[in-house]
Amino acid sequence: MKISKKVVLIGHFGVGKSSLIRRFVENTFSDDYKVTIGVHIFKKKVAITEEDKDISLVIWDLEGNDDIRDTRTSYLLGTHAYIYVFDVSRPATYMTIKDDIDYLKQHCNKTLIKIVGNKEDLLTKEQIKQLNKEIEPLVDFYTSAKTGNEVDELFSKLAMELI
Amino acid sequence: MLKTYKKEHGKTIIQYLVVDFNGQILESDDVLFSNVKAQNITDINPFFETLIPLLETDHEDYFFNCIHLNLNNKSITADITLKTFNKEKYPLLTITDLSSHYKHYQTTAQVRNESVINSQILELKNSYLREKEEFKNTFIANFSHELRDPITGIITFSDILTNTPLNDEQQNYLQILKSSSNFLKKMIDDILDISKIEVGKLKLVLKPFNIRELLNDINANYSIRAKEKGLEYVSTIDEKIPTQIGGDAIRLRQVLTNLLDNAIKFTEKGSINFNVSLNQIRAQKASIHFEVIDTGMGIAPENIDSIFKNFTQINNPLSFKGSGLGLAIVKYLVELTHSKISVETELGKGSTFSTNINFRLEPESKQKAKPLKKTITKPIKQDKKYNILLVEDSEITQLSVLKILARKGQFFLDIVSDASEVIPRIENSEFDLVLMDIKLKDQWGDEIAKKIRQLPEREHKRVPIIALTAKIFSADLKKYKKAGINDVVKKPFDEITLINTINKYLK
Ligand SMILES: Nc1nc2c(ncn2[C@@H]2O[C@H](COP(=O)(O)OP(=O)(O)OP(=O)(O)O)[C@@H](O)[C@H]2O)c(=O)[nH]1
Ligand SMILES: [Mg+2]
Repeated sequence: MKISKKVVLIGHFGVGKSSLIRRFVENTFSDDYKVTIGVHIFKKKVAITEEDKDISLVIWDLEGNDDIRDTRTSYLLGTHAYIYVFDVSRPATYMTIKDDIDYLKQHCNKTLIKIVGNKEDLLTKEQIKQLNKEIEPLVDFYTSAKTGNEVDELFSKLAMELI
Repeated sequence: MLKTYKKEHGKTIIQYLVVDFNGQILESDDVLFSNVKAQNITDINPFFETLIPLLETDHEDYFFNCIHLNLNNKSITADITLKTFNKEKYPLLTITDLSSHYKHYQTTAQVRNESVINSQILELKNSYLREKEEFKNTFIANFSHELRDPITGIITFSDILTNTPLNDEQQNYLQILKSSSNFLKKMIDDILDISKIEVGKLKLVLKPFNIRELLNDINANYSIRAKEKGLEYVSTIDEKIPTQIGGDAIRLRQVLTNLLDNAIKFTEKGSINFNVSLNQIRAQKASIHFEVIDTGMGIAPENIDSIFKNFTQINNPLSFKGSGLGLAIVKYLVELTHSKISVETELGKGSTFSTNINFRLEPESKQKAKPLKKTITKPIKQDKKYNILLVEDSEITQLSVLKILARKGQFFLDIVSDASEVIPRIENSEFDLVLMDIKLKDQWGDEIAKKIRQLPEREHKRVPIIALTAKIFSADLKKYKKAGINDVVKKPFDEITLINTINKYLK
C-alpha cells in the first residue's frame, strides 16, 4: 500500500518555510524572498531504508502571518505532522512560540510537531547555544535552508516517525 | 448575447467536477483542464489527497481558499469547494480560478512583509550597536577609574619623596617620575572625559569665578612650558574683560590648556600667541574671544575635520605623544556652551584655533561676597590632635593618606577596609572626621554615610564625612549630598587639597 502523509509547515512570515521545502524537494536555494500567499503543495517520496519502505510526504507550504491563529483552518484538516518554523535571527518570530505550540496541540492533539529554528547559518554556534537555553519548549532542529544543514535530517526523522 | 459576453469578458472561470467516493473523476466540464475523465483527482495535484477522507461525509461544504495548482503546465491560484451528499449522490467539486485576484493580493503582502522584516532587522542592528557602544564606554570608564588609585599612589609618594634628602641625580630621576605620572594622569583623565562625553554624562557646572586669575595662572604656566621648548610666548589679555563671570572654570581651563598643549606640541620653532578679547556685553552676557596661534607644522585641508575626532592623530602617531583626544574634548566642551571652535591653518606655516564663548555677567554685589571663599583655610589649633577614620579598601590609597597625615603630626589615623566594621568602630570611638571611599568591595560609601547619619548618638551621627572618589558626575555629587556627605575630594588627590579639605571641617 502507498503510504502518504500530510505535513504542514507553519510559522511567522519570512522564516524560511518555502526555502526549507525548496531545499528538501529540489535541493536549491534563493536569497530572494517571494512571499507565499495561500498554500503551495509538494509531494516527495522518502525511502526509509531501515524498514525497506517508501513514504510520500505531501508537504503544505502555508503563507506565514503574525499570528498562527489566523491560519485558515481548512488548511489544517487531516494533518499528520506540523513543522513549526521560526527564524533564529529575528526574535519577533519566536516570541510567541510557547503559545503557538500550545495552540497547535490543542487544535489537533496527537499530531506530531517538530520545532525548527531556521537560518542557523546567521548565528554562531555559541549564539545558538545561548538561544537554545532561552527557548521553551525544546527545539528539535536548527536548520539552514541556505547551506542545507539538517534539512534532510529533519524530513527523514519526520518520515520515520510517521510510518 | 449575454452568454457570449460572459464567455469573452467574464473574469472568473469555474470548473465543475463530479467524483466517486474514491476520487475517480466521473464528469468534468473541462473549463480549466481537459481530458481528465477516468483519472483520479489525486493524480492531478497532491492537494486533492486531503479531500479523499472527506468524500463520504454527509452533506458538508468545504472551502479551500487560495490554492496553487499546476494544471496542464499552467499555474493557477484557485478557490476550491467540495460539496458532499452522503451515499445517495456523488460529491461535487468546483475549482474557481482567481489567479489575477490573488496576484494583486500577493503584491500587497510582499510589500507589507518586507517592510516589517526590514524594520525588525534594523531594530535588532541598532540595539546591538547600542549595546556594544555602551559596553565600550562603561568598560573604558570603569577601567580608567581603576587606574586612578595606583596613579594617586605614584603621585603622592613622588611628592613625599621630594621632601626627603636626595642627591642631585636622585632629584633628576624623581622629576622624570613626576612628569611621567602627571602625563599618565592627564591621559587617563582625557579618556575618562571622552567616555563620559560619549554617554552624554559630561555636563557643565556653572559658577561665578575670577577669569583674570585663571588666565594669569595659565600664562604663568605656559610661558615656562614654551620657553623650555625654545619658543616665544606672547599673550594679550583685553583690559575690558570683566573680572568676575559665571561659567565652568574647570572646563574653560581644560579647553585653553588643551589648545595650548596642542600648539606647543606641534611647534618646533617660532612662537605661541594666546589672545583673549571682549567681543561684547549684551543682555547680562559677556562674549569673549579666545585664540591660540602657533607657527607649527599646520594641518592639511583634508585633515581638518578628523583632528577633532576621537583617537585620531594625523601626523605619524609614533612621533607625538598624547591620548590624541585633546581636540575632540575641546570641540565637545565648546559645543556644550553653544559655540563653535574654528581653525585656520596653512601647512608648514602654522595654525590658529579660535572660539567665542558666552559667560554670564555676575552682579556687582555677588562678586564681592563670593570670591576667595574657597581659598580661605581656617587655621586649626596647632596643639590639638585629631582622630580620623579612613574607610578605604585600596592599600595604596591607605598608605597615601597615612603618609600625608603622618607628616602633619596632628592626626591619629584609624583605617577600616571592611564596610561592615565601620558602624561599630564609630560607635566605640570618637572621631573628628571620616574619610570615606565610595566604591568599596561590597558596599557603597554613600550607603554607609546614610547609616552613620542615622546613628542614635549625636556625636556619632554628626561627624563630618569627606568622600574620596573619582566618581564625581553631577548625579554622583547629588547622591553624596543626599547621603549626608559634607565634601568630596577627587581621586587622584594631592597633599594640599586633602589637608585643606580636612581642615575645613575640624573644630
Ligand atoms: N541566511 C539564510 N536565509 C534564509 C534561510 N532560509 C530562508 N532564508 C531567506 O529568508 C527569506 C524568506 O524565506 P522564505 O522561505 O520565503 O520564507 P517563508 O517562511 O516561506 O515566508 P512566507 O512565505 O512569507 O511565510 C528569503 O529571502 C530567504 O532567502 C536560511 O537558512 N539562511
Ligand atoms: Mg513561503
